[in-house]
Amino acid sequence: MAYKINRRAVVKGMGATGLAMPFLNAATASAQSGPITLGVVTPLSGPAQLIGNFVRHGAEIGADYINANGGVDGREIQLEFRDSKVNPNDASVAARELIGAGANLQLGTISSAVALAMGPLLESEGGVVITSGAGTDKLNHENYNPHVFRVGDSPVSRNAGLVRHIANSRPDIRKWAGIIPDHEYGRTTWKIFEATMRKVIPELTGEEAEIAEPVLVPYGSGDYRNYISQAMRLDVEGIYTSVYGGDAVTLYQQSQPFGLFEKTDVLLDSANEFLVATAMREQTPAHWSGFHWYYEANKGNPLSDDLYSSYVERTGDQYPMGWAAEAHAAIMAYAKAIEKTGNTDTMDVIAALKGLSFDSATGMRHIREEDNQAVKNAELAFIEPSSSEDSGFAVTDYVSLDGETVVEPARPGKTLDLSTL
Amino acid sequence: MYDIGMTVFNGLAWAMATFLVAAGLTLIFGILHILNFAHGGFFMIGAYVSYSIMMAFGGSLPLWLYLVGAMASGIVVGLLGWAVDKLVFRRLRDVEDAYSLIATYALLLVCGGAVQLTWGLNYMGVMPPAALNTVVFVGDMFMPTFTIFIILSGIVAYIGLEFFISKTRTGRLIRVVAADPWMAQLLGLNVKKIYLITVIFSFAMAGAAGGLLMPNQSLSPELGGIFLLQAFGVVILGGMGSIRGAFYAALLLGLIESFGTYFFPQYPGIFFLLALAVILLLKPEGIMGKGQTA
Repeated sequence: MAYKINRRAVVKGMGATGLAMPFLNAATASAQSGPITLGVVTPLSGPAQLIGNFVRHGAEIGADYINANGGVDGREIQLEFRDSKVNPNDASVAARELIGAGANLQLGTISSAVALAMGPLLESEGGVVITSGAGTDKLNHENYNPHVFRVGDSPVSRNAGLVRHIANSRPDIRKWAGIIPDHEYGRTTWKIFEATMRKVIPELTGEEAEIAEPVLVPYGSGDYRNYISQAMRLDVEGIYTSVYGGDAVTLYQQSQPFGLFEKTDVLLDSANEFLVATAMREQTPAHWSGFHWYYEANKGNPLSDDLYSSYVERTGDQYPMGWAAEAHAAIMAYAKAIEKTGNTDTMDVIAALKGLSFDSATGMRHIREEDNQAVKNAELAFIEPSSSEDSGFAVTDYVSLDGETVVEPARPGKTLDLSTL
Repeated sequence: MYDIGMTVFNGLAWAMATFLVAAGLTLIFGILHILNFAHGGFFMIGAYVSYSIMMAFGGSLPLWLYLVGAMASGIVVGLLGWAVDKLVFRRLRDVEDAYSLIATYALLLVCGGAVQLTWGLNYMGVMPPAALNTVVFVGDMFMPTFTIFIILSGIVAYIGLEFFISKTRTGRLIRVVAADPWMAQLLGLNVKKIYLITVIFSFAMAGAAGGLLMPNQSLSPELGGIFLLQAFGVVILGGMGSIRGAFYAALLLGLIESFGTYFFPQYPGIFFLLALAVILLLKPEGIMGKGQTA
């Protein structure tokens, strides 16, 4: 049956629209003048809550900092939290609900799977998200979406940074092996490590790097002895690993009686920051770890100092980890973008974020216009066991590498090209 | 030779660690016919209790205190088992299996929440006692003493359970109740009490396993799930409710997992699942068959 529109219906519709217009205008005006609500979709329950807590504190400290300094054009920042449960379905429901409630600008995604799911959703719903630690390279490559921004490290910048620093400081170490989690992120980190090492070592020494096949380990295992035995069979001088969190603690613990890390000169840990050291304390093997943010490397930066002191004051924990700085940076980026564009409309904020330079706890960051990936310093720290520290470990060296020297070229919509590293 | 020796050694370590967790699980299924999803949660609580005991003594324990700590964990979790039987399991005896699964899964979540509230979310870890933190060399094979200890613990636990079930009066009563609770009731046995003893004993084994396996293992609220899948695999393959079957299944799966990883290192962690699927296709009732309690 065809629906018939007659003149009376049109007049009724116009009348209704006319009556509603003042209220719609008032709502829009209010959205552009009252407090700015940012949605934070991050794990607030389950095992990943450990990381979500860093995100929550970092976002709150960032918002407090902005508000204490007059807000954004006089407007206060408010945060609305939702639990992502590290699950794309739950995160999508939360993101959609927040957009419905007016929080179209979001942050807090730590999971690669969630971050990849956010792009199409936010594009259709009219939102934007700044991730706070999601590590997949697909985010700014083959799955690039203009509604998703990463103001933190790309997996390339962090891992290439680790490799370049070690290759420069210990060019004598040419024989490498990897202990790699058998999932997409693990294999990506290994590809980056291997490609960078194969390029850098010959540049520095004139000799080829000898890189063994990686030892692949399953996710969430309670027993790594078989894999440690595999690694023990290799004739190598350095080990790289991107095994993460509790798995890394178990792997490191079970490696000790085998003497795996005593057998080699260097242990490179892609991303555990203080997760392993706070668990193993004085049993921590000496290792270099990549960091989103290491506060000692940024001492004197007011944003970093405020983030560190506020975090310690809130939690009593002396060892904040980088996810806090990533959420903090997302707040700083939104504040600067809203200030620049003068409103919180999604498309205007996206336009303002693209090419934006803003200050953060790791210094100035620049968001590339082409692929929404920030260029920021890559930070690394050397952690050793220490009997003189209450914590049982100490950071005895750290470096902060210029982001431009370690980030890959922008290739939105295309896969990561390892030959460009 | 070195490679084969280490592969067997690692397979035995996997097998006995898994058996320590699976023993209580299969016992409770054999007697109460409850698939206790919460078993991993109580194993985790045992590990955390042992960790707290260790930390209270400065973090580094002599061997005897480590063993006392594991036993204390067993007692604490055994007492929790008493509470769980009174509050939950008693209500599940005459209902469909689906309710048991839901209830024990909910209990697993409660365990995770309780651990989170009591010990927090941070990863924790302790090393084995100094006496077990050495290496034994056999030819060119190096075997960590803690791993040898775990293998021996599994064997001792198996022999002890076999003895308890087949040679002691309580064990025989448990077998009677497992075989026919209705007839046992008619003969004047206190079936409820035997159920309670079984639950306490099974939970105590989970707690003690947590205490024993805690060194060399990261502690986090995820721990409950890490051994649970392996333990369920062993219980299913062994024949639901059979301790002997669980022991043989653990050995079989441990060696398959270990040799699979050795020969096909590019496919880590799948051989346990693959072997489980293939063997169950060939022998769906498991190694010892259903209803062969102990």
